[in-house]
Amino acid sequence: MEGLQSFGLALAALLTPMTLFHVAWSTLLGIFVGSLPGLTATMGVALLTTLTYTMDRDSAILVLICMYVGAIYGGSRSAILLNIPGTPASAATTLDGYPLAQRGQAGYAMALATAGSALGTVVGIFMLVLLAPPLAEIALEFGSFEFFWLAVFGIVISGQLTGGGSPLRGYIAGILGLMVAMIGSDGIHAHVRFNLGWSDLNGGIGLIPAMVGAFGFAEVLTVMWRSRAVMVDSKIKTGDTDRVLPRLVDLLRYRVTIVRSGIIGTFVGIIPGVGEDIGAWASYAAAKRASPERDQFGKGSKEGLIAAETGNSAVVPGALIPALTLAVPGSAPAAVLIAALFIHGIRPGPMIMIEQPDFIYSVAAMLLLATIAIAVFGLSLTRLFIQVLRIPRELLMPVVFALCVIGPYALTQRLFDVWVMVVFGIIGFILRQMNFPMAPLVLGIILGDLLDKSLRRGLTLSDGELTPFFTRPISAAFVVIILVSILVGIAPVRRAFAGVKARALGSFTGE
Amino acid sequence: MRFDSPAADRIAAVAFFALGASMTYGGYVMDRLEIRQIHPASIPGLLPMILGVVLMVCAVLLALQAGKGDEAAAPSPDVSWKDLFVALALCCVYAVAMVGHMPFGIATALFIMAFSGWFLWPPAGADMSIRMKIGAGVVLFGIAISAAISLLFRYAFLVRLP
Repeated sequence: MEGLQSFGLALAALLTPMTLFHVAWSTLLGIFVGSLPGLTATMGVALLTTLTYTMDRDSAILVLICMYVGAIYGGSRSAILLNIPGTPASAATTLDGYPLAQRGQAGYAMALATAGSALGTVVGIFMLVLLAPPLAEIALEFGSFEFFWLAVFGIVISGQLTGGGSPLRGYIAGILGLMVAMIGSDGIHAHVRFNLGWSDLNGGIGLIPAMVGAFGFAEVLTVMWRSRAVMVDSKIKTGDTDRVLPRLVDLLRYRVTIVRSGIIGTFVGIIPGVGEDIGAWASYAAAKRASPERDQFGKGSKEGLIAAETGNSAVVPGALIPALTLAVPGSAPAAVLIAALFIHGIRPGPMIMIEQPDFIYSVAAMLLLATIAIAVFGLSLTRLFIQVLRIPRELLMPVVFALCVIGPYALTQRLFDVWVMVVFGIIGFILRQMNFPMAPLVLGIILGDLLDKSLRRGLTLSDGELTPFFTRPISAAFVVIILVSILVGIAPVRRAFAGVKARALGSFTGE
Repeated sequence: MRFDSPAADRIAAVAFFALGASMTYGGYVMDRLEIRQIHPASIPGLLPMILGVVLMVCAVLLALQAGKGDEAAAPSPDVSWKDLFVALALCCVYAVAMVGHMPFGIATALFIMAFSGWFLWPPAGADMSIRMKIGAGVVLFGIAISAAISLLFRYAFLVRLP
């Protein structure tokens, strides 16, 4: 109750004309960014971070959150119209969104996607207000040993869930991210590591240039490498036979799917480094299993579309829960948000409820304003967004790259950061084409310092003894979860486990 | 040529193994700060050594796994290597050789004109009027966008442009 009251107060404080103006332009920009294939939510948040450093703290965080929410939602536009997800988060949306558009129901598909996204975010906001404060309190119990395992857990679980069929690729991406974090001055003795005689590397590799490169420049290269997308020939372009507002009866019919997908999305968001795409797929799979019309999934099912969109949008508030309370990002855009929080003088982590007790509620209120904005823009500007998709990539991509160059430079005024962006762009492009996921890499860069400091502090506290890493209750629980996660990822172990399960079920049913 | 092939995985495995070995060696020979009498368990090279070893193990597993999955059977994506290399070259020249060596506004305008012009230029034999139209459009687009970005960063965000 106290939480809801704080949330109400935070919301009231944000209701100023200037704030609403920021909400409007940044959400609209976010929807554009998300809807254009080649511009992702992470890139949008990273580039916008470079533009917000002259703003006051609350306005800066507000526009970044609006960009994040808008971009994740905006991805559904191109998923429905082009069969290409505007952001990876909308990959599941293509399965049913595009078939609906081919049937001439693109407008209605977009309306359902809007409703699903808005409702999913609302479910996530509710859970953020509910879960973040107690989680921050639990995190106060964490010491170096627990933080060490938390960082390992983040890398392992992120690698496991984003590596697709091969968790090994996810682990390698995570280790590469951790290695990047080893460059520069260490967090305990300030000893400079791996600077290769280059003084520019003494401060380490900045997260923002690395992210702008890996998600911006790499995306520019990917877009130019691939063939052009073709827009679906839907009636929305010319006629008005297609409805652009969702029917209440449809939303009521799928209310269980919406709530279920919202909860699944939020919990996927809480898992470190596992982003919106996994949230959408998990919600979609759960909806398909539970639905009486599961044979329609993949052929233009409204329920499938709602599940995917609700799931990916609910990840946004979910990903902010560990980002705010543990400084461990739940997704790649949340990792950039953590960097932005530091730039604006906010220290995310267990102390947040002590140092800035109202901040979590302010973030929840900002999310709600962004949600209202996506609902309003999504339902009223359907035709405008279709025009945006017609911008040729040959004009858009050089502009994006020019922003990728000037953005990181604007933060530090160092040309070195531009070169970092270029290097990470090329490496990111190659790794992505080789099916190495980017999320664990980003998580590794963020968690490297925490892992390093926690390991060495823990060992100093225990005088070189490893026992406390395994015997303290929370540490032991982390160890068990990490071991099980790794074992499940090994194919022979998984097959053996499935065999044992099948035998057990067989004996249970008497077969 | 494909990035997602067993051969590419093997090359990557060798590169990762070399990187892991270098990191382990770098961590091992790193200053242990004895002169500052730090705890021996808190030496700066500890985690780099561990990460290096773990990456070497993962690289060996990647090499063993290469070609066993079904990725090799995946259809070849519809791609243009020429477009990729042109885009890469234009971007690298702009970011490394132009920005910082000439005024940002001019560098950006030239880059946008070159990039858009290269990819939008009509094939040989196209009507002269179409060429003129595209050429003029690309030049105007480059100047307008470059001016907008430069003014935004210079006067709205108070950035001293490179």
